[in-house]
Amino acid sequence: MARVPRNFRLLEELEKGEKGIGDGSCSYGLEDSDDILMSHWNGTIIGPGHTVHENRIYSLKIYCGDSYPDRPPTIAFLSRVNLPFVQVDGKVDPNKLSVLANWSRNSSIETILVEIRREMASFNNRKLPQPPEGSVY
Amino acid sequence: MSLPKRIIKETERLVNDPAPGISAVPHDDNLRYFDVAITGPEGSPFEGGIFKLELFLPEEYPMSPPKVRFLTKIYHPNIDKLGRICLDILKEKWSPALQIRTVLLSVQALLSSPNPDDPLATDVAKHYKEDEKGAQNVSREWTRQYAS
Repeated sequence: MARVPRNFRLLEELEKGEKGIGDGSCSYGLEDSDDILMSHWNGTIIGPGHTVHENRIYSLKIYCGDSYPDRPPTIAFLSRVNLPFVQVDGKVDPNKLSVLANWSRNSSIETILVEIRREMASFNNRKLPQPPEGSVY
Repeated sequence: MSLPKRIIKETERLVNDPAPGISAVPHDDNLRYFDVAITGPEGSPFEGGIFKLELFLPEEYPMSPPKVRFLTKIYHPNIDKLGRICLDILKEKWSPALQIRTVLLSVQALLSSPNPDDPLATDVAKHYKEDEKGAQNVSREWTRQYAS
């Protein structure tokens, strides 16, 4: 199989993100629309229903380095959240989130956001006490 | 990973018999991925500039077109802020009879003849339509600033 280089891969992801993915509960885009290296991204997750996260909107920062997608991006929450894989400064611990710990080239910004949202709704996390809505790191 | 014969032949010709003002060199670790340089055509606002691009041949090539993008910032109505190019042969007018060489020659030709009626960068196209001289001056300035 042809190995899609970083920049063309990120262009594909950008185009997909611009069109909107799934039911709109996760979205992402470039932080700066003329970032020619496409390194800095914003992500948004709408908290899953029937959990403590319901109706909350979480903002995240995503950084895709030079070796993306061979290496995973780094992810940090801007909105405060209490989850076992999020450190006190908002950074997502790559060892504690399986999509990052078991990173593959087939994973993407989208699959990360979708997995984080799924984790919010998991049995262990859905009732964790949360910081005040709207607070940021 | 085996490379289709067609790509090998095209690459040999690109390297051994390059088109004037165009170079395309495959990456050692990905022979479908090329570093491209195109010199700005004489008489265009891009004259004197050397524009870097990247080109990738997807798995489906030549049934699907190559993917091409400018890495050098350029003020042109058919090229957007991320270097994406609006060119019919890269989309619906692609034919497997075309080659990397023809694509890059078409990109070079696009620099000589911007087409503000089919814009990708709408603000630049508007500028080109309303004040062509002024817009060309910006293109020249960007060429000096970013492409030389």
